[in-house]
Amino acid sequence: MRETPRQICLEEWDQRQATLARQGGGEPSYGGPLGRHVEREGNGRLRQLRFDNSTAALRLWNFLLTENQRLRAARAQGERLVGAMKDLGTVPVMAYALPRVRAFYPDGAWWTPCLMECTDRLLNQAEALGADATTCPVRAMLAAFQNGEHFPRPDLLVCSAGAICDDFSAIAQRLERLGSAVLWWEMPRRREPETGEASCALPGGLRAPADQVECVRDELRRVAIALGRLVATELTAERLRDGIQSANAVRRELQALRETVYAAAGAPLPALEMLIAEMLAVHFCSDRDESRVVLGGLVQEATRRVAARQSVVDETGIRVYWVNPVADLRAMNLLETCGGQLCGSDFMFTHALDLIPEDLPPLEALARTALADPMVGPVQDRARRIVQECRRYRVEAVVVSRIPGASHCAWEGAYLREHLAAELGVPAVEIEVPPVCDALLPALRTRLQAVLEIAQSRRRA
Amino acid sequence: MEVLVTSPWVPREWIRAHGLEPRGAWFAQLDPSGALPEGVCAFAGAMARLHQAQPHAGIVFTTACDQMRRAADATASSGGKHAFLFSLPATWQTSAARKLYHAEVARLGKYLESLGGHTPGEEELMREIRRSEAQRAHRRRILEAGSSSDRGVPLALVGGPLLPSQWSLFDAVEAAGGRVVLNATEPGERSVLPPLPPMAPGQEAVIALADHYFDHAVDVFHRPNTRLYAWLGERLQARGARGILLWAHLACDLWRVEAASLREAFDLPVLVLEAHRVGTGGLRDRQRLGAFIESRR
Repeated sequence: MRETPRQICLEEWDQRQATLARQGGGEPSYGGPLGRHVEREGNGRLRQLRFDNSTAALRLWNFLLTENQRLRAARAQGERLVGAMKDLGTVPVMAYALPRVRAFYPDGAWWTPCLMECTDRLLNQAEALGADATTCPVRAMLAAFQNGEHFPRPDLLVCSAGAICDDFSAIAQRLERLGSAVLWWEMPRRREPETGEASCALPGGLRAPADQVECVRDELRRVAIALGRLVATELTAERLRDGIQSANAVRRELQALRETVYAAAGAPLPALEMLIAEMLAVHFCSDRDESRVVLGGLVQEATRRVAARQSVVDETGIRVYWVNPVADLRAMNLLETCGGQLCGSDFMFTHALDLIPEDLPPLEALARTALADPMVGPVQDRARRIVQECRRYRVEAVVVSRIPGASHCAWEGAYLREHLAAELGVPAVEIEVPPVCDALLPALRTRLQAVLEIAQSRRRA
Repeated sequence: MEVLVTSPWVPREWIRAHGLEPRGAWFAQLDPSGALPEGVCAFAGAMARLHQAQPHAGIVFTTACDQMRRAADATASSGGKHAFLFSLPATWQTSAARKLYHAEVARLGKYLESLGGHTPGEEELMREIRRSEAQRAHRRRILEAGSSSDRGVPLALVGGPLLPSQWSLFDAVEAAGGRVVLNATEPGERSVLPPLPPMAPGQEAVIALADHYFDHAVDVFHRPNTRLYAWLGERLQARGARGILLWAHLACDLWRVEAASLREAFDLPVLVLEAHRVGTGGLRDRQRLGAFIESRR
């Protein structure tokens, strides 16, 4: 049963899911009504969200919201769990190259206060543990580790250090002080190669000095050894090569999805689902093969809608580029409510969207990909990529979303807003989205409406 | 030519050996006016503005923290021609990190040459090393002698950069009945390296110097930052500190989040003092300080 694309609320989705189930809709093992995630896991935020009404989106949401169950089941079956922290996209590629290993990002707990509308009290507990509200909401991870009520404690905890956010670095250090051993690996701040200096091409059209690539490669070798020890199996180049190919298969699906959605005249999928879909690239939501299937379903749906000239939002919506992920998922819905459509994004891990080179020794390829992280290099590099994407997808307005307390936002937010507006000649706005933004909705709405109205008037002119 | 250095972990001797004059950015004339974007560390913000105030000086930023490396980005984007970003490794237990530090010292040398410095000979560098060693020995002697007074509650002052405009903090501590027996801020005692061990036969001076800095840097940004705790632990006990004043610049997550760990590690109360751009805050801070010291009598 295909319906006209639109955004629906949780209750409507549950009714629709029940109808689909009666008709033999063929859901995966983790499928079912979304409402159960409110009842069982306390994810009350779902009641406030508007979801895409496709079965592909239903599958995406169920896949996302069952991750902790998946991790616990894997642990029960004797698999080893790796907690990767901060690098967003590199260590999981290595971990999944080994048998009986799953990697996830404890960082992902930053969305728990949003999903549970702070009933989890993770942010309060984090404050009691030493990370107060001056740090980014990722501090929820600290409390989640301590109370063990959200994700299972990993068997190995790996964290990149160096060119990372101060708040994350401080929180991860606090975590170690509280008793969770961390394998730290160095991630130098990426810099432009100097004249005559040996350098390497990185994914995303960047370059880095060969010395830096070598440093990261050596560090990843240490990580590979630790991962191998976890399951008494060497992480050989051959295994890594296979792992890279499988990761690239997921990334290709995501690239196809982004191209289909962002290039379309009217967005065939909403902003919220695109944010969630992109997150899958980072660690495959703890199931690499299934993440590919989920993304494949979304690509099919988006392609079908584009061919049928259907869009989930008003086709005349202002084409918006979004910078940084939001702590409250509801903010993505707000974009469409205000008359925008998502046509490009940099959610802080564009290096996890690029294909990992397959024609290089695997550790070298991973080192180059890790160094292409937009957050480890100068903000000017990040801005350059955003400008390219904005032009490619005919963007008419830019939203730079600040993460409360995040050390990088204080500096780069203003630069990005000013630089992008000047370079692209489009209006740009900076907003800050806390984990539950209800109280700020009027202000956020006003800011978004203002920038979209300016874009609208420019379109008319 | 002056080269302003924003971290104690950049070898001054190396700069001086190139014929340039290193100067701790802590002592530079900082402009306290002008608004800072919300969330920007006041010290990093001041460093980003330094090149505007002193456009003809070189300035060396480091990657010790995200705020500082982004201050370097901001300086570059506003046309700071003489800025250099030194990549300080956060890890310190691997050969990769050591190699990275060595490479950065070599790169710093090229930068200094671009500012008009000359490639130093081995003897020239040794001379600067000896000179710095003598200066440090003098500082160590003063520190070991300690204060002539034993009045007041002994406290440790731990944290990030402490600027001359903030030195009135010491007066405030004494006025409240305390005394600082350990200054572990920058560029305080924590920034004073131990004596350089004798060099191995045939060892290059620059390698010995780089290794010395790499091996003895004591800072909060290291991962893990156990060296900081080991360094503090010895001195807190030896000097009988009865409390810790944690000096954290506004928006400095690296120091602020350590408060709980410091409290637990040393079983000492910790008072977090937010570093204002000028002075030591207002009445509220003085009252907090007074209450803290009173409780430790």
